[in-house]
Amino acid sequence: MRRIPVLLGEVMGALVRQALWAAILVTLWPTESTALPTFNRQTGQNCLACHAGGQYPELTPYGRLFKLTGYTMGDRTLPFSGMAVASDSKVSNTSKSDDPKADFQKNNSLIFATGSVFAAGKITDNIGAFLQVTYDNYASQSDDGKFHGHSSADNMDIRYADRSIDATHDWIWGVSANNNPSISDVWNSAPAWMQYVPVPSPTSSRFIDGTTPYPGLAAGGNLAGITAYFYWNQMLYVEAGGYRTAKGPASFMSAGVAEGDKTKLQGTNPYWRATLTHEWGPHNFMVGTTGMVADVFDDPLDTSDPNSVHHFRDIGVDAQYQYLLDPHTITVQAAYMRDHHRVPGFLADQPVFDVNGTALPNTNSADNTNVFRAKGSYIWQAKYGTSLAFFNQTGTRDSALYDPTRVGGNIAGSPAVRGWTSEVFWTPVQYLRLGVQYTVYDKYNGASHNYDGFGRNASDNNSLFFYVWGAY
Amino acid sequence: MKTQRVTVMAALIGLAAGCANEQRSRDTANPNVSGETLALQVCSNCHGPTGNSKSPNFPNLAGQQEAYLVAQLQGFKGRSRSDPAGYEYMWGLSHNLTDKQITELAAHFAAQKPERQQVEGKSEHIEAGKGIFTSGIPDKGIPPCASCHGPEGRGNATFPRIAGQHADYLVKQLTVFQRTNERPAATLMKTVAHNLTRENIANVADYLQAMPNL
Repeated sequence: MRRIPVLLGEVMGALVRQALWAAILVTLWPTESTALPTFNRQTGQNCLACHAGGQYPELTPYGRLFKLTGYTMGDRTLPFSGMAVASDSKVSNTSKSDDPKADFQKNNSLIFATGSVFAAGKITDNIGAFLQVTYDNYASQSDDGKFHGHSSADNMDIRYADRSIDATHDWIWGVSANNNPSISDVWNSAPAWMQYVPVPSPTSSRFIDGTTPYPGLAAGGNLAGITAYFYWNQMLYVEAGGYRTAKGPASFMSAGVAEGDKTKLQGTNPYWRATLTHEWGPHNFMVGTTGMVADVFDDPLDTSDPNSVHHFRDIGVDAQYQYLLDPHTITVQAAYMRDHHRVPGFLADQPVFDVNGTALPNTNSADNTNVFRAKGSYIWQAKYGTSLAFFNQTGTRDSALYDPTRVGGNIAGSPAVRGWTSEVFWTPVQYLRLGVQYTVYDKYNGASHNYDGFGRNASDNNSLFFYVWGAY
Repeated sequence: MKTQRVTVMAALIGLAAGCANEQRSRDTANPNVSGETLALQVCSNCHGPTGNSKSPNFPNLAGQQEAYLVAQLQGFKGRSRSDPAGYEYMWGLSHNLTDKQITELAAHFAAQKPERQQVEGKSEHIEAGKGIFTSGIPDKGIPPCASCHGPEGRGNATFPRIAGQHADYLVKQLTVFQRTNERPAATLMKTVAHNLTRENIANVADYLQAMPNL
């Protein structure tokens, strides 16, 4: 526990410097402008109309309806916006490493991490889109240590929607073409949305909150899928569809992603989502389930062997409660995802030896991983916010996870990770958020102590993450 | 190539099909979309399809005075009404509305039936609020609300219906009248609210929310 105040003391100077930069940025930022992020321009409304307490991307009931009706509400305007994230990550203990410069790149340095360009908004009365391309300023590193930036397709959602509504009924239905299962979702406990602050690529960010276990879908993004949905009387939401490898006319959905980094799926892979929602007074509540079955090729560069696929079956439940009454915003989210993973035959039952040459149990043919996450947040006046999150990942021990390397190792062959993240943030103007997250681990890769076999403890990975996130 | 052609054709057909749908449009800049359609497709998101909103962040509009609704929409459109509820939500949505659409929107909500609201305040607070509504506070020069808004709080022309309105919304608006100039069209209310205490405001708001309105 002595490490926490020491760590905080060490970074105070850095934070003061960054706060000064932030203050300059806020001063220079136009508080009255005719240029607003694209959805603001389209509806002419404040961010907090659609985002709970202004904390994008979490949606209010109104924001959910805006999205489900295909981003078609409002006027047709200039459909472009930009977003940028500057950040500083600091890992608690960088001494237990053979090569701190490589293991913790850019540690305690303010960096321009990522930037995105959006083309989004109303196209016709029934068609709208949300297209994001993201530039990663630290996408790769050459042998001389120099970082190189790269842009690629990020979240993409093009949808057709219609609505039949009168005093007695309300039907919203639509079809979404998108590249990331659950990106079409409107609740922040959905796999694609629960983690939302962009994660910088340098290895100093390897333990920040965005890298901790989130209840996600194993297939991930850069896919191509079509889902159909309906929302009945603002009570029952059902969505179902299928995902395939992004290729042919849909290849733009993984544009810029290196061939070896693409997710290659075998055939069409089903995704489903169902929720029940209720709103009363300033309260609203959702309980739902999400699932996907996916066959992912082991090697994206070689999809010739139909047996070389990982079979994933993800089934999750989640819930969200919001209290929205100016000036207060309270949000509670909880999500649980169970992943069943059957590995390709050639990876199952393989011998593994530890560093001493002692035989470990052969690798499993299938694993289960369970991720639970809960988060509560409070925001006042859509400006000052705080949150606390708990995460716990458990699962099958598997010698395939055995990794006797320093810092990133896993000598227990266990996926278990557990910890907490606390956060405070400030939204001085609606286009800008400054936040500090502190993530504490009490278990990492299956152990609290010496998880890598070189004396590194879970708490050595505790991380402080400061970010400045602007959208314009 | 065949797959690509089919996909492109399907996309074009979809676009064409989606271009014009004025009966169910959410386009706030198309003068051909009726006020009735906008009320259901757009306004209902916050105010409910019948003008009875669930969230107290948004006022009930059902049974509201038509002239008052026209005046407010014109105030939002012209940005003369600048309280947070106005500029955060309503300026953008109203800035392209035509006079015809505004009239139709007002007529739609004025014709809706107000629902009874939940009684939330303590009985002694509601009783105190009733006293202000019916008799005012003569010592402070505060007239009874009923003198302009009617004995049943249903309003009259540009004096709005206040019976059955969300208490939280009423508190916020009375505070706006009292402390700001963000609603310049309601100069009378600035005078009326000037001497109200926070307790007075809370009590009268509790009474009005609970007030039978059918």
